Amino acid sequence: MSTVYAYPTLAGKIEITVRGASMDGKPLQLSLISQRDQVVALHQIERDDWIEGVLDLEVSLPSDELDEGPWSGVSCVAVLTEGATNTRVVSRLERRRGDTHWRGEVRVRRSMHAARALLDVSVVGSHGGVDGRVIGRTDTSWVVDLLARTPTRQRDLEILEKDFRDGPEEGLRRFADAPWLIDTTGDLPAVLINTSFEGLPELLSGARGPLEKATAGMVAAQIAGEAWATMFHAALSDLEFDEDGTPRFPGGWRESVLRSILPEVFPGLPLPEALAEAHSCRGDGRGWAEIQARIHYAAGKRGQVPKNLTATIRAVQRAQEGPRR
Amino acid sequence: MEDIEDFGVWLGRQLRRNGISQAELAQELKLTRAAVSAWVTGRARPRAEVLAKIAKILETDVATLITRDSDAGSDRPIDWYHRAAHQDGGREYGNAAVFAFDANLAVLAREVTQNSLDERLDPERPVRVRFTLHELTGEHLHSFLSALKWDQLEPHYAAAAQSRHKVGRALAEGLRALRDDSSLLLLRVDDYNASGLTGPEYGDGRYAAVVRRQLDSHKSNDRAGGSYGLGKATLWAASRLGLVLINSTLSEAYEGRTVRRVVGRLDLPWREVDGVAYAGPAWLGEPDTAREREGVSRSWWADERVVADLRLDRDSDDPGTSFLVVGAHDAAGVNNTLEDLHAALGRALSDNFWAAMTSGRTTPAMLEASVRALRNGEFVVPEQRVDPLGRHPALVHALRAFLDGDTVEELTDSGQVAARDVAFAVPPLRAAGRGAEGHDHRAVLLVTPAADKDEKHSRIICMRGTRMSVTARSPRSLGAGVDPFQAVLLAGFATGDDSSATHAAEAFLRAAEPPEHDRWGTTEELTAAYANAPRRLTEFNAAMDAALRGVVGRRAVGQDSTGPEILRKLLRIDAPAAASNRRGLGHPLVDRVVGKVDGDGAWTLDVTLSVPHRDGRWELLPVVKFDVRSGGRPSLEWAELSPKENCQVVDGRLLIDPDVRSARFGGVTAVRSHPVAAAMAGVIVDIQQAREISA
Repeated sequence: MSTVYAYPTLAGKIEITVRGASMDGKPLQLSLISQRDQVVALHQIERDDWIEGVLDLEVSLPSDELDEGPWSGVSCVAVLTEGATNTRVVSRLERRRGDTHWRGEVRVRRSMHAARALLDVSVVGSHGGVDGRVIGRTDTSWVVDLLARTPTRQRDLEILEKDFRDGPEEGLRRFADAPWLIDTTGDLPAVLINTSFEGLPELLSGARGPLEKATAGMVAAQIAGEAWATMFHAALSDLEFDEDGTPRFPGGWRESVLRSILPEVFPGLPLPEALAEAHSCRGDGRGWAEIQARIHYAAGKRGQVPKNLTATIRAVQRAQEGPRR
Repeated sequence: MEDIEDFGVWLGRQLRRNGISQAELAQELKLTRAAVSAWVTGRARPRAEVLAKIAKILETDVATLITRDSDAGSDRPIDWYHRAAHQDGGREYGNAAVFAFDANLAVLAREVTQNSLDERLDPERPVRVRFTLHELTGEHLHSFLSALKWDQLEPHYAAAAQSRHKVGRALAEGLRALRDDSSLLLLRVDDYNASGLTGPEYGDGRYAAVVRRQLDSHKSNDRAGGSYGLGKATLWAASRLGLVLINSTLSEAYEGRTVRRVVGRLDLPWREVDGVAYAGPAWLGEPDTAREREGVSRSWWADERVVADLRLDRDSDDPGTSFLVVGAHDAAGVNNTLEDLHAALGRALSDNFWAAMTSGRTTPAMLEASVRALRNGEFVVPEQRVDPLGRHPALVHALRAFLDGDTVEELTDSGQVAARDVAFAVPPLRAAGRGAEGHDHRAVLLVTPAADKDEKHSRIICMRGTRMSVTARSPRSLGAGVDPFQAVLLAGFATGDDSSATHAAEAFLRAAEPPEHDRWGTTEELTAAYANAPRRLTEFNAAMDAALRGVVGRRAVGQDSTGPEILRKLLRIDAPAAASNRRGLGHPLVDRVVGKVDGDGAWTLDVTLSVPHRDGRWELLPVVKFDVRSGGRPSLEWAELSPKENCQVVDGRLLIDPDVRSARFGGVTAVRSHPVAAAMAGVIVDIQQAREISA
């Protein structure tokens, strides 16, 4: 779905290279920048109290197309945005005489961002007497990740081991009996595993023998199934809409979860329509109960519950048959 | 003193050339043989009146005896001498060393240039190597062949080409090309600031190693790249006619002379010509007059006209050697035109010697190489200096930073080069006996982000000696997701160090190379000379990988957020769900939208859809919205919808028949539904499947 503009736009590619980065004046190791995945991990284990990071940008534009095109007063800006904090910071890039690239710095204030900011470059110029036309934009944004320690685009949810009963977090005390919890309130969904639930952490990370392994697989599948269902509901309840009420995919982990579960819930519908359908059912309650079963089925399948259950049943059978032989 | 010695050497040669013994000369001059011997050995010099007599005997003038810039008397005829067949009846149908290589020009460029580098004379200046491709036809070809005394060679070629062996077939093809195409390709390789072919005609020395012997490496120092003495065979292998001419300017005088030592060598298989059997090689030169070598052709000191006729003239008196490969061809077979061959040589030089051609701010390059191509004396491609930056910008940048001392410990900017020490424990030689200590060599690993144009990257280029690239290793256990990088390992003398540990490392690594010099592994020589060699090599590789990991590797993800693997693998959010992708293809999609704002301020749009196959008819609802940066997108109303191709419009819906693959419709937006002026917003068009209930 591409946007059509009332003026000519650039067809050529706009590419950003982050040549280096620093935090509070201290240069960052290049291994924290991935040119391939277009991610900067603006995080250092040693310190969490940094104030400002600076990214050193180099941008290549389709210069022939720009030179021959109908635009005037062309300039190039880097735009750093983060939806969660509604931040939008624009930095002007410059091109020295004789240089083929545009260069500049982007400042990332820690206080203005929560977790992941997106970095794009827009080319702006005048056309037909109108200034400030965006005539080109990067296809793929760079991700500036303020929490990650490695520059990877993919984000997995967090799996944290916590002591629900005696741990520091007051809020968890009332769940002291629960073996695990799924928390979708944070920036990333998290699975909390209760370390005061005796034997559970050991089972999950250090199962020995076929029976124990099968049980661990079963428990993991159970947790995963629940997590997928919870994440789906959380994502579906946090949508934005066009003026005509069409829901939009939310981006981030929510979009990934919706895209992976929706086709199972509404087979045969295109994804945008499946999303609209799910949203409308949830809103007016029509058919919502029926859809619960489908969500449950899809989440269980994603968590590989059937496969793990089969393995567990076989393991138990074998264990029981064993001594009889 | 030197002058007296020079005279003695010169006089000795004149006597030999003229077939006069020292005793005979003494007799003519009515002097003792001891007096003549004292002149020849440089212990004394004849008086002026004796000089005049000697000049007369040698049929020359006194001036020649004083300047000694040419030989006395008439020139002896330059001829081909063919080695007679072995008396035991043994026959050789080729030179095994020639078969050790792929006979393509890239290999030749590598081997010959490495030999030139190994023979660099003045370490403050680069050795200059120039490759010249020269195609001769017509009169040019004719005059060259006559200078070569082709008529003497022809019967030998004819006999050798009849052989059904590999070499014979190649010769037949070379002769056919010369006869049918009437053209001959010469490949000349010149080096300057090199040792030249010094040493005696038959005894040990650089000259004999190249001209007289096989598998004699004769490397003069322990820094050399080569070690098997195979490289020179590539010259003969590159000639379809097995013929190479040589003109050398010597760095140390031989027979009192340095300039234009010329000889030709021909490698043919066993053959019989006019009832006489010949063993194989033949030499172009001056007949030797020494009794035990009567008739053998030896190198001669040619005059400028002869070297010009043989296309062997050199630019200057800077020492070095010119090799002329007669009937050059590229056995790889892909390069046919002079331009292609020129480019192939340039690529080969750049790929193999970018490091030797790299200079620092104060460090000169070791090598300067250029390539040119001519046809009958006219330039087809003018001389082009091979610029290492052209094909290997990041590698050259890394090495330059090292030479200039501009390396850093950790990479923080993409222009930087990181340098790390790599420890290499060189075991002691077995010969050193029990209890001998090994050496701790410190190799250097340079790492820098790859340049955008680099075709090959993320490998460790390992080099030693004169920065000779030996191998390109793929590093192990680097972890996933590392950006492309370039890494260079400098070991042995390539580090620029000169300690005993460096000498030991260089010797060890050279022993670890097979004849191709293309890897460090276990060779017979290595295991014979060193205890524990294979393990030390493995440790060395591991140390390289560890150093590399320290620079480009990613830190391990913190333990706190990973969780048990058994659970983690079930919760990969970004992993695409297995079955969902295929379903998406089953719906019509907007393929292309073209539009403009018309005079009334309405958008006029032309929309193309791609439609998948299904049995029933499609009923679609086109939707148009303004695109905005954030928040809800305002929907617009259609003022007009019109079918253009393969569709109908009924009540604002598109109807598309089942067998249609692509449909097109037009639409005009209703201006009153625009929240802002049309020209101030972008529009998007989407289609939805019309729902039965929405009627």
